[in-house]
Amino acid sequence: MGDWTGALNLEVEDRKGKTVAKKVYFQGAFKVMRPIYHDESGQACYYLLNPGGGYLDGDRYQMKISLAEKAKLTLTTQSATKVYKTPNNFAYQEAEISLQPGSYLEYLPDPLIAYQNAKYKQKNVIRMDKTATFLYSDIVTPGWSPDGERFSYQTVQLLNEIYVDNELVVYDHIRLNPATQNMKGLGFMEGFSHLGSMIVVGKQTNSSLLDQLYSAIDMNSDDYKLGLSLLAVPGLIIRVLAHSTQVIEKLFSELHRMVSQEWFNTEPSFLRKY
Amino acid sequence: MDIVMEHKLSLFQLCDSNFPTGAFSHSYGLESYIQENKVHNQETFSEWLRVYLNEQLIYSDGLACHLVYQALEEEDLQKVWKLDRLLTVQNLPRETREGTQRMGERMLNLVESLYDDPILSIYRKRIGAKQSFGHPAIVFTMIAHYLKVSKAETTLFYLYSVVSSLVQNAVRAIPLGQTAGQKIIHQIQGDLAKAATTIGQLDEEDFGLVSPGLELSQMMHERINIRIFMS
Repeated sequence: MGDWTGALNLEVEDRKGKTVAKKVYFQGAFKVMRPIYHDESGQACYYLLNPGGGYLDGDRYQMKISLAEKAKLTLTTQSATKVYKTPNNFAYQEAEISLQPGSYLEYLPDPLIAYQNAKYKQKNVIRMDKTATFLYSDIVTPGWSPDGERFSYQTVQLLNEIYVDNELVVYDHIRLNPATQNMKGLGFMEGFSHLGSMIVVGKQTNSSLLDQLYSAIDMNSDDYKLGLSLLAVPGLIIRVLAHSTQVIEKLFSELHRMVSQEWFNTEPSFLRKY
Repeated sequence: MDIVMEHKLSLFQLCDSNFPTGAFSHSYGLESYIQENKVHNQETFSEWLRVYLNEQLIYSDGLACHLVYQALEEEDLQKVWKLDRLLTVQNLPRETREGTQRMGERMLNLVESLYDDPILSIYRKRIGAKQSFGHPAIVFTMIAHYLKVSKAETTLFYLYSVVSSLVQNAVRAIPLGQTAGQKIIHQIQGDLAKAATTIGQLDEEDFGLVSPGLELSQMMHERINIRIFMS
């Protein structure tokens, strides 16, 4: 299993209120740019890059991210993850994330675009201390095909496993399989094309935060369908079905802003990409 | 009556939609679809039921029956407790997760008064000590294994018990006629048998898969104003 198309290992730590890299290692078609500090908070922001421009047949990517005590990190991508057709073997990406006490990670990758006949699997395993905080989002687009047909990929499978103090607390497993499922049918995409998920785990979460988020969102909009729920540990999950990436991004940035405001009394930084 | 038949009959008792586990108060998101008027008759309900069976139930409760039974055969209790946790934490909508937990506990207390399988009290103690959560699929499988009903039948009967309760709920909520309800149960039997076969071929990698719309409907149920179901 050690045969990676691209591998990345990033360890960060807090040095006098500023989060800095302790170890940065990457090889193959995976790298990170130098960190950017968007404000005075000391929180580092790393952009992930896929120099190959997209994932190909049988590609395998591995990421190991580790935050030492009190480190604060934003991890994002420079652009959408593209998975091209995979005639033989699915493309795969896994992330192992370790969050030490008091650390904070925002992992906010750009949308996933699976091309015609693509098969993709992604697995994120997060191991965190109960005093750490984790905020994650992802967006799955209906993909791309030369004739503009939506859902022409074969399968997209996303798994998030979150452990708090070594106990499994979240097992989020979604598979979209347009090759065998009727994406237009009841129970699948409900007439929408884009799927967004956001997970927040942090001891500060309570039902009043949930109420606050609910009251800030128009639950009767025709532009999207949104569900929110508390997890088995302090934290919440949000799922959105919408017609575009922009609608989901707008909702997530608003929710992210409210969570940051409530928990840390801070505003999230705008992630400049272009 | 031979003992095998007698044991199967005992398991039927747990499949009866009158068996008081609280299943009558859970719709698993169906009520959201009813309120949106997407499920409103026999045909649309049957469609929902098939999607629920094939896109959620087989990967969660169904696969759990299969794996728990295997673990019990191998006397691997650690595996059973691991599956109890997995079943609970893959259930992301809070109402369905907590509702299922309550059903599991209720069913466990009930069967403990019927059977003296020692594993039941171990499970109950673990739940009391917050080491386990409790889930009806696990309690059901424990009893089925205790009664020496085969693994494939255990899975099939469990699926039947869930589906027949859901049909009863739909009859009340949509509403549908009793005959329509029985027609649905009759027509879905082939799908249940197929689902049980599919489950036998799944592996642990498939655990907890769910289609987005179903899960979303279960989350959205939390904010439904007028409701007759708890999930």
